[in-house]
Amino acid sequence: MTELAFSMNAPVVAHSPRAVAANATAKMSARRLNFHYDRFHAIKDVSLDIAANRVTALIGPSGCGKSTLLRTFNRIYSIYPKQVASGELLLDGENILHPKYSLNQLRSKVGMVFQKPVPFPMTIFENVAYAIRHYEKLSKAEMNVRVEQALNQAALWDEVKDKLKQSALGLSGGQQQRLCIARAVALKPDVLLLDEPTSALDPIATSRIEQLIAELAGDFTIAIVTHNMQQAARCSDFTAFMYLGELVEFGPTEKLFTQPGKKQTEDYITGRFG
Amino acid sequence: MTSIAVTHTRLVTQARRDASADRKFRTLVVLAAFIVLVSLIGVAFSMLWGGREVLSEQGLGFFFSTEWNPVENRYGALVPIFGTLVTSVIALMIAVPVSFGIAVYLTEVAPVWLRTPVGSAIELLAGIPSIIYGMWGLFVLVPMMTAYVTPWLNDHLGALPFIGELFQGPPIGIGLLTAGFVLSIMVIPFISSVMREVFLTVPVRLKESAYALGATRWEVVWNIVLPYTRSAVIGGVFLGLGRALGETMAVAYVVGNTVRFSASLLEPGTTIAALIANDFAEATDSYRSALLLLGFVLFVVTFFILAIARLMLLRLSRREGVR
Amino acid sequence: MNPVQSPQNRTSQRLLRKRSAINAIAMTLSCAAALFGLVFLGWILWTTISKGLVGIDWALFTQSTPPPQESGGLANAFFGSAIMCGLAILMGAPLGIAAGTWLSEYAGARRIGMVVRFVNDILLSAPSIVLGLFVYTLVVAQMGTGFSAIAGAISLAFIVIPVIVRTTDEMLRLVPAQMREAALSLGVPQWKVIVQVLYRGASAGIVTGILLALARISGETAPLLFTSFGNQYWSTDLASPMASVPVVMNQFTASPYESWHTLAWAGALVLTFFVLVLSLLARAILSRNKVRHD
Repeated sequence: MTELAFSMNAPVVAHSPRAVAANATAKMSARRLNFHYDRFHAIKDVSLDIAANRVTALIGPSGCGKSTLLRTFNRIYSIYPKQVASGELLLDGENILHPKYSLNQLRSKVGMVFQKPVPFPMTIFENVAYAIRHYEKLSKAEMNVRVEQALNQAALWDEVKDKLKQSALGLSGGQQQRLCIARAVALKPDVLLLDEPTSALDPIATSRIEQLIAELAGDFTIAIVTHNMQQAARCSDFTAFMYLGELVEFGPTEKLFTQPGKKQTEDYITGRFG
Repeated sequence: MTSIAVTHTRLVTQARRDASADRKFRTLVVLAAFIVLVSLIGVAFSMLWGGREVLSEQGLGFFFSTEWNPVENRYGALVPIFGTLVTSVIALMIAVPVSFGIAVYLTEVAPVWLRTPVGSAIELLAGIPSIIYGMWGLFVLVPMMTAYVTPWLNDHLGALPFIGELFQGPPIGIGLLTAGFVLSIMVIPFISSVMREVFLTVPVRLKESAYALGATRWEVVWNIVLPYTRSAVIGGVFLGLGRALGETMAVAYVVGNTVRFSASLLEPGTTIAALIANDFAEATDSYRSALLLLGFVLFVVTFFILAIARLMLLRLSRREGVR
Repeated sequence: MNPVQSPQNRTSQRLLRKRSAINAIAMTLSCAAALFGLVFLGWILWTTISKGLVGIDWALFTQSTPPPQESGGLANAFFGSAIMCGLAILMGAPLGIAAGTWLSEYAGARRIGMVVRFVNDILLSAPSIVLGLFVYTLVVAQMGTGFSAIAGAISLAFIVIPVIVRTTDEMLRLVPAQMREAALSLGVPQWKVIVQVLYRGASAGIVTGILLALARISGETAPLLFTSFGNQYWSTDLASPMASVPVVMNQFTASPYESWHTLAWAGALVLTFFVLVLSLLARAILSRNKVRHD
């Protein structure tokens, strides 16, 4: 298990999906985080911890700021002008919102998978090898191993091992999304951000990805945005419920779904609005 | 733990290297964009600079004089400006209705299977070098004008009051009318392509609801398509006008290259671009200065025409973007 | 039919007849306009083909431009055109791609980006003769080189740049924003993302832009008249005047000699053929790519 090297700063616990681990430490922490799109105040004073090596789900009605919050975790928003985050966002204790914090370094530690699968216009192999090549000088054999490993982790190897040299655009939607996951995990990041990774997929591909999330949770810290409450309940350890840019309730998934502390949370999870 | 420390330093150096490469790349592309911006100013300024000699000698009189006498170094821009405007106006008077007809035909009338091939053919024709239009004008159109059109115009329109003077002239085939006609044929593909494209941006549901109310095709074109695309259609016309004003080779052979004012469209004349093309390479220094100043006039005029065209076209695309 | 018609019914019927009459007239006019345009454009094409075919032979491509009344070809002009167009693309394409990249990736919707885009659009349709004058004052007169092939190539490059700036900008903006986000979120620096991912995604469009620019400059006459001038002989010296197909066509067309006219039309036919092939190729690349992307 080479991946263990990434989680040095968190106590290593065997992952069991439903266990509410009191001893989990925070990998990322938001402290009074605010976010503005130009004049629109999208996230209001949110503070929460993303537990190391656990799956944290962000749920809430559309427009509540859950995707925006996720997009601050690797500062991908900063490629657009007029989008500003303020407050503190700590990764291993360092504030990633600090202007001196290197974006590329941050993004090599915090990977992201998007709603719509976007394979690069290259071969399947190149899609996975692309970012590794930027960070590490590997021999051809080493690279082959790394790519195979990543594709294995994304449960895609068996399906593509015979067509690594073909264009990634020829894969099915579900396969493309798993390729995107492989691409992200190939860099061996600490954190994996998933932004509604299954909303563009059919039910079979969806369950495949959910299964994969459970497998990956041992090696990575995962934050997932989903509009599907069953999905959050099925595959996360912690759940944060957001509404109108505010964090309404945050806690162990089981507790949030069985005994919500707030009326709004209860209304949302029982389908009374949203 | 050491391996993590090493990895960390490596990451930091890599990050620094990446950031500096990013900065260099950015500087590079900013410079390129800057060159585009500067070249426009450079074009205008270089011609004004080249024309400073004539401008300082003759002052603003240059723009209002009809005299053009290279031997005595007296230059007036009015005749070539007049010729440029007249040929362009003739070109638009023919090209705009024809292009509109073509665009309507290609978006509403023609059988669907015919629309794309004919539309593409016209777009391809827009790419034919303008010198070929000029050669066709000289070798094919001029003899026809001489043999049939000029005599007919003399006989039928030359006697009319007021406008008659426009159509009196020798049957030599070259002149402002011929030049304007060749220009019109040349800009038809441009204008009709733009019009066809903007007509295609009209939402189908708008047209369908009009048809559902029993509107005829013409009513749909006139009451739905045209109002919806008006600004872009005007933009397309101005784009064609900009093209016609600055066109050189399509008119150089057929306009006559005579710097003399004449009320008749059948008399030889000249345009700014044709005059520059014909005389510049062999001109003396002061004559060159006058031609450069003329080039400046042409550039300023086309700049404003094209600016209007772009703004008009932008208006439609902005509305498209809003929805 | 009901023999007794109400007055309203009759008015509306009259109105209907009037409306469909107007419609019929308008549609006929529209067809006539389309026919008119197509007839003339077809006529020009036909003239080029019929007059040009006469002069197409082996000598056209192997011999240099002859003195009047003698036989010869356009070999030196084809060579000169190829050299100058090639140089123009070599100079203009990198600059244009870089400027287009800035517009799409760095300027975005900022005001300065809008200004540059606007200026570029103006340059795109600026009279080419004016660009010739610009390069004349900038290179030929200022640097004292006199008429030269390199000056001709520079003036053509100024036509190439705006075409490529525009296509690059448009094609890069067609690449979905998620592609940028996905690549950047891997921690790859922006320049690498642009060069290795976005250019690849937009490659078909950028190549199309280059082909269209080449098609455009291969027939440009006006900017070459007083930059590269012309040369009766075969020349490979970039610092001296060089022949080009359109300038030779211009010279021969304006002459009274029948043999020169024939050569001019042969040049016109080759040029038209070249331009049409390039445009068709550009279309084919673009449409094939479109299909693959959806």
